[in-house]
Amino acid sequence: MASAERHEKAADTRAAAKAWLRQETRLGSHAARPVVVLSFAAACTAIAQAYCVAAVLAAALTGRGRAVPPLVLFALLALVRAALSWAAELRATRAGAASRRRLRSEVMTRLLHAGPGLLRERHSGELAATVVDRVEALDGLYARWIPASTLAVLVPIVVGLAALAADPVAAGVLLLCGLLVPIGMATAGLGAAAASRRQFLALARLQARFLDRVRGVATIVLYGRAADEAAALARAADELRRRTMRVLRVAFLSSAVLDLAGAAALVILAVRYGLMIVQHRLNSPTAALFALLLVPEFFGPLRGFAAAYQDHLHATGAADEIMRLPPAAAPIPPPAREVRTVPAHGVTVAFDDVRLTWDTARGPALDGLSFRVPAGETLVLAGPSGAGKSSVIEILLGFVRPDSGRVTVNGADIADLVPEALSRLTAWIGQRPVLFAGTIRENIRFARPEAGQDQVEEAARAARVVEFAAGLPDGLDTPVGEGGYGLSGGQAQRVAIARAFLKNAPLLLLDEPTAHLDPTTEAEVLDSLRRLALGRTVILASHSSAAHAFAGRRVDLRDGRAVPVRVSA
Amino acid sequence: MTALLRILGLWRRRILWLVAGLLVSLLAVAAGVGVMTIAGRMIGVAFATGVLAAPVALDAFGVGRVVLRYTERLVTHGATFRALADLRVWFFRGLSRSAAGGLGFRQAGDVLARLVGDVEALDGLYLRIVLPLAGAVLLLPGLVVLLRAQGWLVAAAVGVLFAFAAFVLPRLAAATAAGSGDRLARTAGSLRITAVDALTGLREVRAFGAEGRMLAAVQSREAALLAAQHELARRTALAGVGALLCGQAAVLAVLAGAGAAPVGAVPGVFLVIAAFELAGGLPRAGVLAGHAAAAAQRVLEAAEATAPVPDPPAPARMPAGASLRFDSVHFRWRADHPPVFDGLTLEVPEEARVGILGPSGSGKSTLAALALKLAAPQQGRVLLGGTDLALLPAVGARSRIGWLGQATHLFDDTIRRNLLLARPEADDAALWAALEAARIAEMVRTLPNGLDTWVGEGGARFSGGQGRRLALARALLTQAPLLILDEPCAGLDAETEREFLSTLNDVAKGRTLVLIVHRLTGVERLDRIWRLSGGHAVAAAG
Repeated sequence: MASAERHEKAADTRAAAKAWLRQETRLGSHAARPVVVLSFAAACTAIAQAYCVAAVLAAALTGRGRAVPPLVLFALLALVRAALSWAAELRATRAGAASRRRLRSEVMTRLLHAGPGLLRERHSGELAATVVDRVEALDGLYARWIPASTLAVLVPIVVGLAALAADPVAAGVLLLCGLLVPIGMATAGLGAAAASRRQFLALARLQARFLDRVRGVATIVLYGRAADEAAALARAADELRRRTMRVLRVAFLSSAVLDLAGAAALVILAVRYGLMIVQHRLNSPTAALFALLLVPEFFGPLRGFAAAYQDHLHATGAADEIMRLPPAAAPIPPPAREVRTVPAHGVTVAFDDVRLTWDTARGPALDGLSFRVPAGETLVLAGPSGAGKSSVIEILLGFVRPDSGRVTVNGADIADLVPEALSRLTAWIGQRPVLFAGTIRENIRFARPEAGQDQVEEAARAARVVEFAAGLPDGLDTPVGEGGYGLSGGQAQRVAIARAFLKNAPLLLLDEPTAHLDPTTEAEVLDSLRRLALGRTVILASHSSAAHAFAGRRVDLRDGRAVPVRVSA
Repeated sequence: MTALLRILGLWRRRILWLVAGLLVSLLAVAAGVGVMTIAGRMIGVAFATGVLAAPVALDAFGVGRVVLRYTERLVTHGATFRALADLRVWFFRGLSRSAAGGLGFRQAGDVLARLVGDVEALDGLYLRIVLPLAGAVLLLPGLVVLLRAQGWLVAAAVGVLFAFAAFVLPRLAAATAAGSGDRLARTAGSLRITAVDALTGLREVRAFGAEGRMLAAVQSREAALLAAQHELARRTALAGVGALLCGQAAVLAVLAGAGAAPVGAVPGVFLVIAAFELAGGLPRAGVLAGHAAAAAQRVLEAAEATAPVPDPPAPARMPAGASLRFDSVHFRWRADHPPVFDGLTLEVPEEARVGILGPSGSGKSTLAALALKLAAPQQGRVLLGGTDLALLPAVGARSRIGWLGQATHLFDDTIRRNLLLARPEADDAALWAALEAARIAEMVRTLPNGLDTWVGEGGARFSGGQGRRLALARALLTQAPLLILDEPCAGLDAETEREFLSTLNDVAKGRTLVLIVHRLTGVERLDRIWRLSGGHAVAAAG
């Protein structure tokens, strides 16, 4: 890909991510409304408390002794404020959780609907990281950043109004110092945003490099390069530190502006009231103390906003990733004419001038392919890899749609079938079956969740799973897959065959089912497959000896075209 | 907590920076609290005596606070960057000593990723845990001393409340976090496994029409994770509210005593407000500390695990030859696992081409692990060039072996730098020759940036087959006299496979070659073939 084009694409993704974040922020603002209301109420309580404190202190200073009512009110308000902050925090957690739940379901649905074609370009681990980690990283956006960005405007306004009531000059001082914050942030370099964005990216890059090197630690050690890589890691970190610190020196200036504004407001007001007292010009000590106590309340939300900026950056990174996912699922195509079939009679499959191109640069995978498999018969697709064998199977499984031509099952175009109807007709065994985390029994039952216990065991017997399962710690209830017992390629293939037995579909699709097996295991697996094939329509793609194990019509594929050779016994 | 202290101990080298950061941070805390207190005192004194006390000091503290906060941020961030770079390098060194055989060799990428997450969890140790805690330690006596004018009862009450908010509540929060850490990790792990399963098995999911079931499975795992997170959040919020109430009670205590000592009451209230602002963040630091402690434990365990095969105290001299011999080797990965080899005897003579066949699970990869000293036989001997491997240093043995494994990693770097890992001094001609031999040069030539093309995370910019061939080129680039290639033809189509195998003879000229494959195509020119089965090796036709 030309670098200009890549830049353009990256810019597109970034723009899309920005638009998406704006939209999410709107959705999130709605969910965050209770948090904002509760936090705002807590801030108002704090203002009232500041007044109580001012009243008590003023009474003491003017020798009026202990002012009991404001003291009691202060204590009561403290309880109210605690309850409000508690509720606000829980609400924020809940808003974050609800948004993540919505988003994760959306992302997962998109991936499931995009289907197996996705695995041609992306690694499943990377996709899972988007589902799990990227969505988690968005928590701060909903739980903290969105409420904080609203509160940073609302609360200073209310505090300013309260100050206005106490002393208009104080309100003016707060307003001026408050304005200093955005102005200062804008003039300190290009602002904290750009700088801390760069710091965040630099750190993310270091972490990615570190993770990459740790993942490949065995490779590094076996090439005897551990010491060099450790040194390189240290150098990269040091280089990163130098560059980041150069950026931070400017970025921290904007935090300093916030500190300066807070300190300036406090000092100015303290000196003003001090002078007024000394010059006997102060009429209301309560108002003076109240104004002073409002200073921290005024700048608190601004500080909270600055702290939540990190959350916003995390969200930006995650949004870029989510933008790279396939678009939302298209609505299921309407009129679906379902084909009713009786397994005993099987199905007839026909390809008529089918064309399919995965990648224009590599030419067509299927280039006008036609063939017909009568019910109950077997078709062997032979030919070198890349000849289009897998494409035939993937079309029949509904993983991909042909660009042109007709594929029919019992005379009905499969384009008219809903995915569920197609999946009911077919059983499929590929090169490397995926075993899910769970027991062998659960893995077989995956083919037909409503199947009874005896049906599952019957399938396990038919596929000879029972034989090797007897040697495992818990038989059919031995956990396999991630964190479970590792099955060999042949054993995993038997589980796949058991799935097909249990599913009992009339059309059996076999895609190089023994490609990764040694000859002995291959012979055993083929034996099971032949029994499975009885009475079904079978399409077998294979370039190896597996082809000879099945009697039936044979089609040689070359460059996506059929070259029929012979009909064996 | 001892694990955390050990991690802090790793930062001895950076002690000057860390202490400097700590001092500036403490000064900044003092200045911050000082501004509030002096402002309050100015009002109080002005009322009592009619004198404007210490306006210069107020200015100085105000300016000082801003300058100190800025300096603090710079110094502490600089110190943190240094410390976390040290931690990463230390962890990588430790892992490279301990985990090559276990974690890395057996494709436990997610375990490693989790460990990296643990190292990242320690990033905030200094900035977000040590510094605020040190600030609280400084403030506690300061509070009591400054408030003693308000009467010892007030001073003591505020002191106790502060200690409770700053030390007891965070401690409880840390314990809660450490306790829920397990449940969080378990539920997050189960969500990840379900997501990886569903996505790896997208073909199965579509073929069996299981989209709805898979989505439901992900949702139910997520619900468990959210419930665990909610529980922790509830307790954290409780600790936060506790700290808030302590602060309010402390203000109330000073206010209640204000009538008796009005002059000191104003700065007293201001002081308490400023001090508890700092303490309010500590329960959150406690939660972080709880997570960090558990992470530190795992990080230490991984980095300090013993090497799978310790080097002999007095290694023998490296032998000249590159023959390989397994002599009645008995081996099992773990005591409760079935044996992989049960008296394996197998010979690979010098400069021979040997094929090793066997069904998956028959121990073909274990064979490589034993030769690479990633594991040691429980009985029997493995001899390299006639010398028992147990007597040789692992680094020496590995330098003799060029290895292509199933889990060979491509680094997120350029093609050139990925290849140079095998032989740092190789020139471009040597790189192209290796790519040529691995049947991938043609593809690399079509790339606009050629050798300087970025391969992406785990080789993600290329297809699986292309990635394997790049790894193969890297293995061929080594000048090791013994090549062990585990399924080198994976990802090649039949024609290219035949071509590759016929040129392999030139590449391996003068070297010993061990080819681990699941089937023979018949074009390999092999001197000997061994078939692995039932923990033994049987000589097959050669």
